Amino acid sequence: MNIGVYVCHCGTNIAGVIDVEKVTEYATTLDGVVVARNYKYMCSDPGKDLIRSDIKENNLDRVVVAACSPTMHEKTYRDVMEEMGGNPFLFEMANIREQDSWVHTDKDMATEKAYDLVRMAVAKVRRNEPLERIEIPVTQRALIIGGGVAGMEASLDLAEQGYEVIMVEKEQSIGGHMSQLTKTFPTLDCPMCILAPKMALHEHKNITIYSFSEIEEVSGYVGNFEVSIRKKAKSVIEDLCNGCGLCQEKCPTKVLSVYDGKLGTRKAIYTLFPQAVPRIPVLDRENCLMFTKGTCGVCKKVCPTDAIDYDQQDEIITEKVGAIIVATGYAEYDPTPIEEYGYGRYKNVLTGLQFERLTNASGPTLGVLKRPSDGATPKRFAFIQCVGSRDVNTQEYCSKVCCMYTVKNARLLRDEHPESEVYIFYTDVRSAGKGYEEFYKISQEKGVKFIRGRVSEVVGLPDDNLLLRTEDTLTGDVYEVEVDMAILACALLPAEGSDKLRDILKISEGTDGFFMEAHPKLRPVDTLTDGIYLAGCAQGPRDIADTVVHAKGAASGASVLISHTKMSLDPISAYSDESVCRGCGECKLVCQFGAIEIEPLNGRLIAKVNEVLCKGCGACVGACCNGAMSIRHFKDEQINSMIEAAMEVA
Amino acid sequence: MPVIKSIIRLNDLDTNFVDEVIETGSEVFGEEIPKTIMACMQCGRCSGSCPSGRRTAFRTRKIYREVVLGFREKVLSSDELWYCTTCYTCQERCPRGVKTTEIIRILRNIAAKEGYMSKSHKMAAGHVFRTGHAVAINEEIQNVREELGLSRLPPTTHSHPEALAKLQDILRKTHFDELVGFDWETMELKEV
Repeated sequence: MNIGVYVCHCGTNIAGVIDVEKVTEYATTLDGVVVARNYKYMCSDPGKDLIRSDIKENNLDRVVVAACSPTMHEKTYRDVMEEMGGNPFLFEMANIREQDSWVHTDKDMATEKAYDLVRMAVAKVRRNEPLERIEIPVTQRALIIGGGVAGMEASLDLAEQGYEVIMVEKEQSIGGHMSQLTKTFPTLDCPMCILAPKMALHEHKNITIYSFSEIEEVSGYVGNFEVSIRKKAKSVIEDLCNGCGLCQEKCPTKVLSVYDGKLGTRKAIYTLFPQAVPRIPVLDRENCLMFTKGTCGVCKKVCPTDAIDYDQQDEIITEKVGAIIVATGYAEYDPTPIEEYGYGRYKNVLTGLQFERLTNASGPTLGVLKRPSDGATPKRFAFIQCVGSRDVNTQEYCSKVCCMYTVKNARLLRDEHPESEVYIFYTDVRSAGKGYEEFYKISQEKGVKFIRGRVSEVVGLPDDNLLLRTEDTLTGDVYEVEVDMAILACALLPAEGSDKLRDILKISEGTDGFFMEAHPKLRPVDTLTDGIYLAGCAQGPRDIADTVVHAKGAASGASVLISHTKMSLDPISAYSDESVCRGCGECKLVCQFGAIEIEPLNGRLIAKVNEVLCKGCGACVGACCNGAMSIRHFKDEQINSMIEAAMEVA
Repeated sequence: MPVIKSIIRLNDLDTNFVDEVIETGSEVFGEEIPKTIMACMQCGRCSGSCPSGRRTAFRTRKIYREVVLGFREKVLSSDELWYCTTCYTCQERCPRGVKTTEIIRILRNIAAKEGYMSKSHKMAAGHVFRTGHAVAINEEIQNVREELGLSRLPPTTHSHPEALAKLQDILRKTHFDELVGFDWETMELKEV
């Protein structure tokens, strides 16, 4: 047995605290170690060359690298082993960075701890066994959850590469929040116009859209997912409906439209907006008279294609895909709990999205500015920033898009209504982005007044006007400002239903509630569950431009996976010793991944592990009553050897 | 005549002042509460919410900034420090979780030790020395109590002179009398 030990300086990350020379010297004293070296960056080409040449010259068959976390570079060194003809599992990492130099300041003690960690890794590598990787097939199709701009972009990128794409959208139309907006910064183009070519994806031969549908269950694993989709009853037969719109025109029931921020109404049978895709209405059973009173039937009577079906049931559809992209977007924060801003109490206090609908040409007022309380034309506007963002009492994070969309709305007001008084009350103006700072400057030149102060309170006046109180922190004066309308730049929250989806997909979320990426800098579209990717605001607040970039990244990540017909997995999985196992099933009960089945063998029962589903967590090993269950690469004797080594004194 | 204002050299300020405030505050509140001053982002939500600041030059936000930068004398000797009514509106609204009102109280404690207690606070303290109450009872309130079926005097130092004596003893032993400048002979402040 010839073991080589390589100690990395990681620049000064490790060498600044740990005496790497001493650790190298110590390693040579350990049983089986024939060579030990240190180098500034072991993961660089010259570093890897040291290992390569020792494998050749010193006939190394096992290697230990004392450096960073295995999540960071285990693969790097396993690849070196493989490339040199060795077995990649005869390798161990001693984490002397995250577990040592980064968390300790006493240099002598940190160096001694490095001795311990290296000694443990050497003890383990001595007991490691050569393992072969598992090969599995890959389904060359993808599922996109969410039909907003992120989901659309990712779908089109994959479909154009020739992959079949299944898109699931919970609303009745694709388009997402972007379809609600008035104009977009910094170009001021019309969102509907720039969305239209993307919404045409429903005509793409490789894309299937399930609208008004939700993910019910996901089973399987990377490359081989099986997805159950609940296609909710629209009460409209899609194959018959020609989208003529007669039903919603004649429907007698009006309901406040959530899509329009409850500033306008829609019918009980309705499409979200006139350009909806698919252009098939959905009957809202909670408000339809046929369902609430058992009488009406107007839509059925007027439908020229007999497409209304009051008895339609939800359908469950199963699809097989190799990769999943989560593009579920965001929800706007409801500012009611911040009582001092009066949202919900004063009619002329609106959220940002409500203001988008109020100024939108296809919104409830067809773009005519009217204030909700009395329909009068408002002339004085206050935009209040950071509502529910950058606030430890609500969301601590910055929602990133509010500065720019507020500047956009303020500038549009000055452009289209030059007589209006427009104030933006801000904490900081964050306009990082191509053309954004320039856009901000233009809005100043057009007369938008920026006041640096976080508004303290909004007081309703008897004539429905609003009185704001704030400090101008740049002059130190306390101001009162009377306006006709106040617009709250509300935080972006994770989309509704994110928690449920997180559990279905078994992916994690950060403390902010958004889905968590595998690495904030180097793996921003991957999740920690192989084969599942993130696109757009599902991962965190971002504007349209950044969302498109992120979605293209997710599509690229997914296509790296589904462009192959086969892939290999690490063989670090549980297995049961059939001669000892008595088939009690305790292991199956604790397995979170459904990887264990109890099967008959020669007239008795035994546990059988599906190596592909197994994540190697070890829960079954703990549950096993007679030691039949083990995990490859983490067998009891391998772990015990590390514990024994830990107890030795250097 | 133009007003000449000299440039302030930040290096010449008392950069340890904020540490002094945190340390002093820790004696009463523990370290976590005074330490929150470090996170102030100067958004002004406190000053805009301040019912006293609406009428006076008191700017809570500005005080935290001056503490962090080290304007020790300026902060401790300022009249504004005593304008806070401790209504806690700012503390409730602060988006960075700064315990604003508690920090004002800590600053007042330091200022009082340096002899900067405001005249009105000393006068209120005078009532405590004499009656055991910062706001003593008056004829009107006694009448209201009677109408409500209560005793004319509440069961406090007002009806227990022996408790008042004990309180006065505490005030002496903690040297609060020296801090306020209370004269036991005249039962008045030494100089008003």
